[in-house]
Amino acid sequence: MSVGSQPPQTNGIAGDEVVVITHEDVDRAHDRVRVSEARAHRGFFHGARLLWLLVGPGILVMLGENDGPSMLAYAATGAKFGIGFFLPFVVLTFVMAIVVQEMTVRLGAATHRGHAELIFDRFGPFWGWFSMIDLAIGNFLTLITEFIAIRAGLGFFGVPPWIAVVIALAILYGALMSHRYWTWERITLAAAAFNLVFIPVALMTHPHWHVVGHALITWHPLPGFNKDVLLIVLADIGATVTPWMLFFQQSATVDKGLTTKDIHFGRIDTALGAALATAAAVATILATAPLFAHQMTADNFQAAEFAQALQPIIGRFGASLFALGMVEAGIVASITISTSSAYAFGEVTHKPHSLNLPMRQGKAFYSVLTLCAVAAAGIVLIPGLPLVYVVLLVNVVAVLAMPPALVFLFMLVNDKEIMGDLISPPWANVLASGVVFILTAAGVLFGVSVIAPNIFAALGGK
Amino acid sequence: MVTKEEAPNLEADRNLVLSSLEHDQLVRAKKHHIPRRILKGPELAVLWTLRVYLLFMMAVVIYQVWTAAH
Repeated sequence: MSVGSQPPQTNGIAGDEVVVITHEDVDRAHDRVRVSEARAHRGFFHGARLLWLLVGPGILVMLGENDGPSMLAYAATGAKFGIGFFLPFVVLTFVMAIVVQEMTVRLGAATHRGHAELIFDRFGPFWGWFSMIDLAIGNFLTLITEFIAIRAGLGFFGVPPWIAVVIALAILYGALMSHRYWTWERITLAAAAFNLVFIPVALMTHPHWHVVGHALITWHPLPGFNKDVLLIVLADIGATVTPWMLFFQQSATVDKGLTTKDIHFGRIDTALGAALATAAAVATILATAPLFAHQMTADNFQAAEFAQALQPIIGRFGASLFALGMVEAGIVASITISTSSAYAFGEVTHKPHSLNLPMRQGKAFYSVLTLCAVAAAGIVLIPGLPLVYVVLLVNVVAVLAMPPALVFLFMLVNDKEIMGDLISPPWANVLASGVVFILTAAGVLFGVSVIAPNIFAALGGK
Repeated sequence: MVTKEEAPNLEADRNLVLSSLEHDQLVRAKKHHIPRRILKGPELAVLWTLRVYLLFMMAVVIYQVWTAAH
């Protein structure tokens, strides 16, 4: 509905301009009022409240990326190589993730547009549609692996696969039902907090803290250089930064209504998320390290099998926590990944795309989100699903999507026409381009290794 | 858009939105496309490199799918 009389305070809108407001605007405005009230006061309590109000996308994206396949990669790392090089290496990969994700915060806050929308508008329909379709395919295949993790994790407790899938879908749907970004974000954050159950599991294995400290400082013992090590290095990098993260955090930043004034808190949010995700990842490596000490093979271990293997060491309760952690990882990732697909679809097709939309106004958005999740969940229930092939395709599609996504991110964040004074300073560009190069090279190498496993035999590996 | 039924307190909502959101945060403002970027030499080279990369990778993927299917 158009409203045409004099507004009292217009934030850059001329007094006689006809202004159209929507339900989505009103919901976002309510969130912004609370931020403004908290910002107007000084003191520790109000500072903490402001942080509480502004955190969300960064924590969600980092804990969301600690998904089923990622936690399996960390578990395999601990079981195959024990405590050593990989502890500080995983910390380093999350530092790289911060560098990349910080750029999405700035882009979202400065332009109030999602990543897919900016690519579409600034680089044309070809790259816009390519990014959206590639992301959609990659996300869908990844969603399948998330539901596999959920099924396997709940399978540890004897839950039949179809009930496991229904539970996951009910949680996803429950978070959506509020039709408020804020409520959705808080429900998903509460679910994501369970990613930290890997910490008590790690403590139950009684790690030798001097060995852990030594590994973190010296990066020793080194695992030796062969094909297996290279693959696990690339898998751990791939477990930390993936295309959906770029699209999700930028879209969530926009949907949350963050502005340039909030970029500092967006950075804290991202760093906090990375710290929590690092703690969970390191804990998973520590938790499965006893399997390395006991000379158990971790090849082809799935979520439930890791929990079963750990049971003689940490007991039934610890093993149950480990399996629950895998379930949580799958559920949170299924929520964030399906949301990132829906955001990208709305941005490219210019259909309403917000978690603040009522169902009637956001039919396309909610339909895409629900369809992705339900279809992926349904596929998991197909008997004899070729899991290995699905994982292979996930990796290949991620390799296809990652270099363009990173290149466009780098170009957009240095685009003075849309970023103004918020373009990256030269030192940040040197850092970011280094990280972009490493991530792109790692992604390509990982893709090649998946497509042609024998290619690394020349490295002297197994 | 907001109807009377959905937002009985329309004037208050309008004031709230206009005083709390930046102009380009409004849904209405986001309907406008951002102008396309004018690409120069190095940027065009990067995009062409990406196109070649994608063609190569798509061929690899198709080969992989075909091999697996047989």
